[in-house]
Amino acid sequence: MEGAKQIRFCGFGGQGIILGGKILGNASISAGKWVAGLSTYGGAARGGVCEADIIISDDLIIFPQVIQVDVLIAMSQSAYNKNIGTVNKETGLVIYDTQLVSTKEVNGLKQIGIPATEAAVKELNNKQVANVVILGAATEMTNMISKDALVEAIKKGVRERFIDLNIKAVDLGFKLGREAISKAK
Amino acid sequence: MAKDLAQYFRPEYRSTPQSPLCAGCGHGIVLGLILRAIDELKINMDDMLFVNGIGCCMWVPTPQFAADVLQTLHGRALAFATGAKLFNPKLKILSFLGDGDLGDIGGNHLIHAARRNMDFTIILGNNMVYGLTGGQVANTTPEGALTATTPLGNPYRPFDMCKLVEAAGATYVARYSILQPFLLIKSIKKALQTPGFAFIEAMSMCPTQFGRRNRLDTPVELLKFLKDKCITKKQAEGLSPEELKDKIITGELKNGGS
Amino acid sequence: MGFKQVKSILPPQTHYFSGSDAVVEGAIASGCRYFAGYPLTPATDIAEGFSARAKDVGAVFIQMEDEIASICSIIGASWAGAKVMTATSGPGFSLMQEAIGYAAVTETPIVIALIQRPGPSTGQGTTFASADIMQCKWGSQGDYQVIALCPWSVQEMYDQTINAFNLAEQYRVPVILLSEAAISRLEERVEIKEEIRIFDRAKATGVAALGLPPDNQVQPMPIFGKGHQTKVTGSLRAYSWGLTSDKAVQEMVVSRLHHKIMDNRDEIIEYDSYYREGAEVVVIAYGFTARSSLLAVKALRQDGKKVGMLRLKTIWPFPDRVVAKVGSEVKKLFIPEMNMGQVAGEVMKYTCSKVISYSQTNGDSIQPDTIINELRRLL
Repeated sequence: MEGAKQIRFCGFGGQGIILGGKILGNASISAGKWVAGLSTYGGAARGGVCEADIIISDDLIIFPQVIQVDVLIAMSQSAYNKNIGTVNKETGLVIYDTQLVSTKEVNGLKQIGIPATEAAVKELNNKQVANVVILGAATEMTNMISKDALVEAIKKGVRERFIDLNIKAVDLGFKLGREAISKAK
Repeated sequence: MAKDLAQYFRPEYRSTPQSPLCAGCGHGIVLGLILRAIDELKINMDDMLFVNGIGCCMWVPTPQFAADVLQTLHGRALAFATGAKLFNPKLKILSFLGDGDLGDIGGNHLIHAARRNMDFTIILGNNMVYGLTGGQVANTTPEGALTATTPLGNPYRPFDMCKLVEAAGATYVARYSILQPFLLIKSIKKALQTPGFAFIEAMSMCPTQFGRRNRLDTPVELLKFLKDKCITKKQAEGLSPEELKDKIITGELKNGGS
Repeated sequence: MGFKQVKSILPPQTHYFSGSDAVVEGAIASGCRYFAGYPLTPATDIAEGFSARAKDVGAVFIQMEDEIASICSIIGASWAGAKVMTATSGPGFSLMQEAIGYAAVTETPIVIALIQRPGPSTGQGTTFASADIMQCKWGSQGDYQVIALCPWSVQEMYDQTINAFNLAEQYRVPVILLSEAAISRLEERVEIKEEIRIFDRAKATGVAALGLPPDNQVQPMPIFGKGHQTKVTGSLRAYSWGLTSDKAVQEMVVSRLHHKIMDNRDEIIEYDSYYREGAEVVVIAYGFTARSSLLAVKALRQDGKKVGMLRLKTIWPFPDRVVAKVGSEVKKLFIPEMNMGQVAGEVMKYTCSKVISYSQTNGDSIQPDTIINELRRLL
């Protein structure tokens, strides 16, 4: 699928992976894109591997399932281990939570750590928004969609009393993303 | 059929009743009592919905009543009725259903309709046997009774469905035999006026399938059997469990409250 | 009565919906105001979604004690005048079969969203299959007709749910939205238009006549509580209430249920064609597998291969005429399915060309690469 970005957001049940996928999907809709999202959780409401696939494209998406991952966002070791083999080795990108994932070398594959959980606890005093922090960082690093679109989606998809917190999490994520880009350069 | 009830029948059936009920069937008596209760309450038949199942009881409203009739699948009448009632709460729903329909195949729907306290009037026509299919054992067949599928006598206890629906949350529960027609009319009227789940067990009889297998060869013998078996709440007072063993207690068993 | 344009209930814009969300919104937009269901993965999302939306439009939602009660209660509500729906998966759909036959013979408009899961029996709730095609048509006893629609996208889950209600009301027939978890759980963009086209059933007037309808056309439907003295029954002996001979009733009712749908099948059936010009091999696909197939066919066409595709949007009544036509034009028909060849067998009834059935029953959706590899062997 040329021109389409295949993203897999993964972690364990309870981290807000599915919600994160929904936010990213909604954000892409407000950005005028075509989107296909499919979550896999099986019996994972209690901590198993949890995956939210999102395909974002400028054109109609014929086949709506991820065939090869362009961007893997991993928030747990088991989810990383399970999915690292699915990433496109030449052009793919792995974004992982530094506190929760230790990477293994994959020839030529770009892997960038974001201290999402750590920063969420330290700066926002809330571990639960680490999902939005890492999504913010990934958005900044990949230019998949605009920050405004992400904020719009949060306003739509998150319970009212958590909106402010989540918007702060987006800001924090974008900051961490910028830092990661400049470090990588 | 008494003349004053003719208006409750479709014109096609006023002069020549089409009821396929057997001679001596107790359900025919219940038919008359239901119409008398409706007549005395002056309920407009256009507001009534008769929901029936499959079994001999279905021939009471079907086909002759001049009203809406929903003849459903065997056992499922109360599930159908739930849909009709929830969408149009103005419908006044009366179901005359057999013991197989309500207590065997439809038992789950019965307890849940009672639990939801659906505003239905349910009359159980208990003839102690599967009549339509040729006299097989029912959940209400007395222990030891002979049926087409218990040639050595029914090895199991009969079901007390009044206790069942009372426990499930019915608002009104009563039991009378067809030998108590005036009490039954009064009870049906009460049930029709009860908002919530009202359940009446009408002890009926089936000379064709139950009577002839159990040496109660004529309807009169069956009536005598019912008369001996059914006692009032008052008569039951002071009787020992041994004396009560084969008796069926009639009367109002629950009226209102929770 | 008849078709009319109504304002869409949702704001006309682009939404991001799951397939289940889209079914709920399609039902609400169509005027469905009674839903009864029983939890069963993967169809539960639809019941939960409807229960959340019911209060917004004054609809009734009830969770019944089982699937049998669910379908029976929607039939009751349909006769009380409602547009009605239930949703289930294979195990619940099996329980509903007797009542589907009842709805067919009593000509009750009902819509069932069937989100397939692998069977037989309990099978698996969280993997994919599309193996209830035949149960949809032949699950209840006797000869009867239903309509079954096979959406391939979330947009079509919305559009075809509306179509399902329209067909149910127009033909007084059970309509099955024959979908699968790969689409009910998929999230995609859905365009909601300002207005939609809906059909409201023709309503009877006066006292309902006893006996059989005069012809095979759809009759106006009486509603309980309006003095119609309606008699509804699934018992054919009772159907004409002793006014016609039993044998004649049996024959006339079966024939009527058949012709009511089959004589109108050109109006009912929908399909789409892709790359069929000059194709020597045509893929016949439906539901999710049609998406894999289209990607495969597109890739092979770019490679210069003479391959095309026919997508069945309606499965029942079966699109016999178009299948026969395509079959007469090509060398081979390739039919990939997430079952043991249920539609392939049906296609064979109508075509002389070689039908190649490809079955996958491992709980995964069929991937485009799989279809490309299979097709390369035929081309």
